[in-house]
Amino acid sequence: MADTTLLAVFEDIDPAAEAIEKLHEMGVTDDNINVISGVPIAHRMLGRPHPHTNVSRLSLGGAIVGFAFGAFLNYGTPYLYNVPVGGQYITPIPPGMILLFEMTMLFALLATFLGVFLDSYFPNYRPMEYVGEVSDGKIAVFFKVPEGDQKKFTDAIGKLGAESVKQAEAQQL
Amino acid sequence: MSGMTVDLNRVGAKGALAEEAEGKWGMTIDMDVCTGCQACVAACAMENNLSFVGEEDAGYGRTQHWIRIERFWDGEFPNVKTNFQPMLCQQCGHAPCEPVCPVFATPHSNAEQLNLQVYNRCVGTRYCANNCPYQVRSFNWRDYHIEPNLGNERDVDGAVKIVFPLHNQFNPDVTVRRRGIMEKCTFCIQRIHKAQDKAKAEGREVEDGEFTTACAQACPANAIVFGRIDHEESLVSQLAHQDRGVKHLEELNTLPRITYLKEG
Amino acid sequence: MAVTSKYFPGAEKPHEAHHEEEDDPRQYLMYDPKPRGEMNAMVMESMHATSWKFWLVLGILVFLVVTCFFYAWGYMIAEGLGVAGVMRPSYWGIFLVNTVFWIGISHAGTFISAILRVFKAEFRRPFTRAAELMTTFGLIQAGASIFMHLGRVWLAYWLFPLPNARQLWPNFHSPLMWDLLAITTYVLGSTMYLFLPLIPDLAMARDRSTGWRKIFYRVLALGFRGTEGEWRHLQTAMNFFAFAIIPVMFSVHTIVSWDFAMAMRPGWSSTVFGPYFVLGALHSGMGAVAVVLFIMRTTMKHMDYFIRKEHFDALGKLMLIVTFAYSYFFFNDYIVQWYGGDKWTDTLLHWLEEGPMAWMFYQLLLFNIILPPLLLWNKKIRETPWLLALIGLMINVGMYWERYLIIPVMLTINRMPFTWKLYEPRIEIFLTIGTFSMFLLFYMIASRLIPLVPVWEVQEGQMTHTLRKVGKAHVPTVSEFE
Repeated sequence: MADTTLLAVFEDIDPAAEAIEKLHEMGVTDDNINVISGVPIAHRMLGRPHPHTNVSRLSLGGAIVGFAFGAFLNYGTPYLYNVPVGGQYITPIPPGMILLFEMTMLFALLATFLGVFLDSYFPNYRPMEYVGEVSDGKIAVFFKVPEGDQKKFTDAIGKLGAESVKQAEAQQL
Repeated sequence: MSGMTVDLNRVGAKGALAEEAEGKWGMTIDMDVCTGCQACVAACAMENNLSFVGEEDAGYGRTQHWIRIERFWDGEFPNVKTNFQPMLCQQCGHAPCEPVCPVFATPHSNAEQLNLQVYNRCVGTRYCANNCPYQVRSFNWRDYHIEPNLGNERDVDGAVKIVFPLHNQFNPDVTVRRRGIMEKCTFCIQRIHKAQDKAKAEGREVEDGEFTTACAQACPANAIVFGRIDHEESLVSQLAHQDRGVKHLEELNTLPRITYLKEG
Repeated sequence: MAVTSKYFPGAEKPHEAHHEEEDDPRQYLMYDPKPRGEMNAMVMESMHATSWKFWLVLGILVFLVVTCFFYAWGYMIAEGLGVAGVMRPSYWGIFLVNTVFWIGISHAGTFISAILRVFKAEFRRPFTRAAELMTTFGLIQAGASIFMHLGRVWLAYWLFPLPNARQLWPNFHSPLMWDLLAITTYVLGSTMYLFLPLIPDLAMARDRSTGWRKIFYRVLALGFRGTEGEWRHLQTAMNFFAFAIIPVMFSVHTIVSWDFAMAMRPGWSSTVFGPYFVLGALHSGMGAVAVVLFIMRTTMKHMDYFIRKEHFDALGKLMLIVTFAYSYFFFNDYIVQWYGGDKWTDTLLHWLEEGPMAWMFYQLLLFNIILPPLLLWNKKIRETPWLLALIGLMINVGMYWERYLIIPVMLTINRMPFTWKLYEPRIEIFLTIGTFSMFLLFYMIASRLIPLVPVWEVQEGQMTHTLRKVGKAHVPTVSEFE
């Protein structure tokens, strides 16, 4: 079944939430709906499922890698070329704490940053379905409908207060 | 407290061993006979290729002396007495300068019990000099040995050239340091090595008194004595264990290898 | 009470008409919403609008950066540190004063954007980015100052833990190594933390620009559209950053203080240096934010909508609290040193209060400890932008003196009286001008390239704030969307 993507633009959250509910009633699953907004809108306001994110897992992974790297720097590298200084031990524990902390934080932060890129497929310069009004605070709802049903959906969503309902087009951002 | 015994050999910062604190090479400086003649300063400069920094920089506190004579006035005029205190790197057993260097440019030699300065490793953070309680490290603020202002203009084949006569007496055993690095007294490590090489070739250990440092060699009053502090019978060892012997800033637990013999 | 009447307009003295007007909740940005499109247009215009004055100042700064930063530094590298004023015993001079100063300035950004975000202080919203930019640009200057300070800067890469043929790694016993790693963490962390909330605003700018700007924003916006997933990843990351960067921030200035406190020197060897330096950093940082906000508000278009009296008032209160905390640590450090009566410390304290740099010590007391609380208690003063900026400037002068006293002046006194000598800055003065010019230059360029006000965050805030009618009064209410 060839699908087509429709785009409805809303001014407020309430009609957008109603429209999504209506789409659910009309048999469009959440996988086929996509919401784009200029400010973060909590998923439960729109009655949408909780979006999954790997960012926190990646942060934890980064922290573990960073801890290991800090341990290597402080407790590994001095043995590669043993230089005694100032009557201190080769691998003293207190300065090691500093290294462990800094490297753990550094790698956790880097992994978090990278996580945003990975999870959101950034950078992505291919043409995407988008409307410029979104950054003016409007809410755009994209949904996939079967080829023949376009009219039915356009009317139904239009009645719920959408500013416009039209065929979505991929554009160069 | 009766059951608790303290191993006096282990008393000291960071678990150092007290017998190690004596070190291998040591020096005594007799304050009673020092006349403040500065012969040691001159001899050190010749031996170790020290730079001559010029009048202006010297006046501003940039002298490049590995040993300096600190002169203090005691009393009020006319009842005034001068005290001279030669000050050089104390070759600390627990050197505060060592751990602070980020690139290991000033490590500790376990074999010789000396503080080393690795010129070509130094990046010039100057933390070691800040952390030295004796303020005996000197920094190469400029390329003094090729500083045009410090040379002499000479007519060489019709062209005016700047020549540095002191270049002709550089000690080939010692590096000439460039700008941006730290340096300090090495206990004339080039002489130590020379003596060790000779002793090794002859299949023996270095004897006390076989060689001495430039400053001790030049001292007309024999105020400076250098030798094996770890040999009980050596002169330096016997002098150091006199009642007159004091260590400078001993309270900092730097374990200096130089003993000052106070005026008695 | 000013506080109660702010939230309950007219509750105390209903007969006074002017009071009613003064307490209009619409004076607060969060209760004075504008449509998002209008705010976008305002922010875009503030970036585009430049007058000849802007280009004149920019030109002067470029000239100063080229001469005082690049030329002076190049000359110093070629000639050696002899052209600077550092000597025995002040082996460290203004370069490290600048480093500590700039790291201090950079703390304000993190404090405002991270701590205030964690505690949901709503007044932060319009100026988090302006503060975060200070963090990034301040750290660039701090880094440059550290490298200036090195005797052989061309070998600076030896400080980094890089694999090498000899397997000789840096010395992790050295406080300078801790410093390097902490500052690296902080630079990278704060730059990423600046960039993440910027992505939606870059996307906004991308949708409303043409020409080279369009390409610039398109590349930087990374193809952000604002899908639910993108927002969720971004918010999770920002939340993590806000929490994680706070301990990093504290560690950075603590480790900077350890560069001094770990040394065996009178005056430096102090266990309170860590928190004392952190508070000092916040003290100068808050002052710098006040200055930057004042400049933004007076020179940039439409900024008087976003940055209001309430923000200066809130910042003034923060400055007041930080002043008290700073004074506490200052007193704590000095009284312990003074009471101890150690010979060298005693000499040092006498040197500070009677020596040739005593004027600096007294200015520090006046500018950082005595005057700020005397001035900042007054709401009128806090709400006057130019006055608050002036107080901020004053605090920064005082804090600069504080670092100057701690580094070259305290270094004068050591345990070898024979070497005592006072430091005189030479080429450092030009290099200091160079770093200040470069900071301002970066800031000016950034103000034309990136939206200084996080529009989406302001809108998000305005959506959560509403006025509810209770009886006859309109009561401000805040709801939580997250």
